[in-house]
Amino acid sequence: MVSMVHDLLIAPFADFAFMRRALIGVTALALGACPIGVFLMLRRMSLVGDAMAHAILPGAAIGFLLSGMSLFAMTAGGLVAGIVVAALAGLVARTTQLREDASLATFYLLSLALGVAIVSMKGTNIDLLHVLFGSVLALDDPTLLLIAINATVTLLVLALIYRPLVMECVDPHFVRSVSGAGAPTHLAFLALVVVNLVSGFHALGTLLAVGIMMLPAAIGRFWASDITGIVVVATVAGIVSGYAGLLLSFHAGMPSGPAVILVAGGFYILSLLFGPVGGLVRQIFPGRHLEA
Amino acid sequence: MSGALQFTDLTLGYDRHPAVHHLSGRLAPGALTAVVGPNGAGKSTLFKGIMGFLKPLSGSISRDGFAIRDIAYLPQAAEIDRSFPINVFDMVAMGLWRQAGLFGGISRKARDRVEAALAAVGLTGFEARAIGTLSGGQMQRMLFARLLLQDARIIVLDEPFTAVDAKTSADLFALMQRWHGEGRTVLTSLHDIDFVRANIPETLLLAREPVAWGPSAEVLTPANLLAARNLCEAFDSEAAFCADDAPPPGRQDGGHTGSHPGHDHADAA
Amino acid sequence: MKIPRILVIAAAATLSMLSPAAAQKAAPLPVMASFSILADFVRAVGGERVAVDMLVGPDADAHVFTPAPADARRVAAAKLIVVNGLGFEGWLDRLLKSAGSTAPVVVASAGIKARGNAGAAHDHDHDDDDHDHDHDDDHDHDDDHDHGDTDPHAWQSVANARIYVRNIRDALIAADPAGRAAYEANTRNYLRQLDALDRELRETLARIPAERRHVISTHQAFGYFTEAYGIAFKAPVGVSTEQEASARDVAQLIAQIRREKVPAVFLENISDPRLARRIADETGAKIGGTLYSDALTKADGPAPTYLDMMRHNMRTIAAALAN
Repeated sequence: MVSMVHDLLIAPFADFAFMRRALIGVTALALGACPIGVFLMLRRMSLVGDAMAHAILPGAAIGFLLSGMSLFAMTAGGLVAGIVVAALAGLVARTTQLREDASLATFYLLSLALGVAIVSMKGTNIDLLHVLFGSVLALDDPTLLLIAINATVTLLVLALIYRPLVMECVDPHFVRSVSGAGAPTHLAFLALVVVNLVSGFHALGTLLAVGIMMLPAAIGRFWASDITGIVVVATVAGIVSGYAGLLLSFHAGMPSGPAVILVAGGFYILSLLFGPVGGLVRQIFPGRHLEA
Repeated sequence: MSGALQFTDLTLGYDRHPAVHHLSGRLAPGALTAVVGPNGAGKSTLFKGIMGFLKPLSGSISRDGFAIRDIAYLPQAAEIDRSFPINVFDMVAMGLWRQAGLFGGISRKARDRVEAALAAVGLTGFEARAIGTLSGGQMQRMLFARLLLQDARIIVLDEPFTAVDAKTSADLFALMQRWHGEGRTVLTSLHDIDFVRANIPETLLLAREPVAWGPSAEVLTPANLLAARNLCEAFDSEAAFCADDAPPPGRQDGGHTGSHPGHDHADAA
Repeated sequence: MKIPRILVIAAAATLSMLSPAAAQKAAPLPVMASFSILADFVRAVGGERVAVDMLVGPDADAHVFTPAPADARRVAAAKLIVVNGLGFEGWLDRLLKSAGSTAPVVVASAGIKARGNAGAAHDHDHDDDDHDHDHDDDHDHDDDHDHGDTDPHAWQSVANARIYVRNIRDALIAADPAGRAAYEANTRNYLRQLDALDRELRETLARIPAERRHVISTHQAFGYFTEAYGIAFKAPVGVSTEQEASARDVAQLIAQIRREKVPAVFLENISDPRLARRIADETGAKIGGTLYSDALTKADGPAPTYLDMMRHNMRTIAAALAN
């Protein structure tokens, strides 16, 4: 019995270095991306990840134009483009009556159109995004390092801006009235989003990088009602999804990226139904109420 | 003199239509002043201008010897995200943010101060409650507790007693009087004219243009109130440019008695 | 024997009539090849009589090629279109329709014995006039099975390359009968070069000991090569570059390499090399260099022509497996 469990759950990682690396990669990714995802969700910016994924295309295209198929150039380009779009969107949202969602939509669309135009004019048919974004099974040392650094930086910065970030989410006028830190905090947060997305692209591929950010956050919402609890649950959910997804890919032959996200999706459905905070079953069967 | 708030021919508004029109005067440090007027009189707009959320269409506000962040502000319908998973304690503790800074954890001493503030507003025991579960009155008390912790020299409150029960209003007004007793400047907008006349020393009667500003008994006369009531709320889309804008240099602006010299405007009325 | 003078004069006159006709500086025949390897063949056979254009250029991946409107214009300008077939150009039908082309389409692989991806061979004996049909009938011979099951990289075997070249020659002659002599001469010349190449390949690769005659590549495009020259290729992903690997595939591959002691891992110029490097690291297999399978390189690269490409692959494989 024990040996069967071992074969199922431990052996794949014990026997194969690429599985160990994949697990480390996904775990590091979750440590950075899940807390960010929680804040995105609470700020009603859940679709921002998807928008940003398209926004980084011109950066990758320009990196390709300048340095050919250099992964470094294209990653750096993608990062720069993402941060520029985020900064511009934040600026417009703050200084005009366009809100965050509208201003981000305008800039990411512009960025995407620019990227497509650049790629077409260059006349190449190489699938840029396909090359830039890899697979969690193919994490080489530089990429693994990149993901780990991203996670570390994210956690450090998040710890730093945690309180102003929370305050900005709950009561932005208060923050504005007592300090000028609101805008820089917001920009730092958006920069973290971009960094985690680019890091996620290397590990999971384009759309799935957003999945590891948003699904665990949604899961967390159904299990905790304070923000620290939500972040913890989300991160644990992300890590467990990574672990289980890799096992699924190993035993059932499913592609690794989708496997991780599908497991996360499964957890999400379970949480939606049975989660103690606002889960559907809880709503239908509320249980006995307390005295006071 | 340090601590005074000075309005110089101030006009504030939206899209060039004035909501506060040619207000001049001085809010002395340590004053307890009520801003009274009908709906659309420009009270909230004035407060937003004081807090720097709106730039004046003309004229100016000068803060003598202090910055905007020295003012504690309680907005009207607070744009607080009630669904955010934060509890009362953390929300109130925001008031200490200026002292604690970005990195500040809540020290033992700070924790005690938060508890004291909660006690002062009657919310002891609410520390762990999510803000989304609070009633209107409890929400207002919580925001007052935060104001307490901000320890500000000037406190501006926009209709603090709307949708709040009588006991809560009384408790919270006692706090405002305590602030006044501590020498802080308190500016608040209120609807209850009799309450203002009985409890608040100074009143600015605003009907877009200032009608009267001074001791409450002198300001809240039937004649003044009638003049204020005749204010038209709507912005006039056909309005011409205000002839009184940008006065030539050398013109003396009125003192703080603030009766606006009547003159004909073909605008915004 | 004295040749009658009149005959000599007549012969000279005939010759002099022929040469202007033969050396007609008519504009070269515009031919569109679907990708770089076919373009190379067409140039080899057509010489100066053809102006070759290609849709998928050097270093590019035909599997993920998406035609642009400019491509349709260039196709419309061609008088002959040369394609690989066997499901290689999934985007072709749409492109031909939008180009409104009525030029004949020749399937270069007509007549070869196609492989399935699992190794099973399908018979593809067709009449040679296949390539005279217009493009609607072009893919009849593919309808027996899914495109995904057939390995389209038939040119990896020089024997098949010979068939390609002959098909191209016949198509060029049909499109430009006046050039028959030139095409046949060029073809004979090129076939000779192909023969030399084939010999070289067999000799070089035969020297590799039997237990070392297998390699890993990220692109399973060498099935015909294996069939012809006996070097087995194993890969973590399927034929197209679009499929994403699963952990099980990678694990099975690593286990297999360890079990069978496969000596070398090769990179491709179009697929993600990082996966291959991972596998090499974990199994201790050697990273052997880059192999070119689906496209030629640019002129300054190591594989600008078909002959160069095959020789480069041969040397790279031999070097990696040698010690």
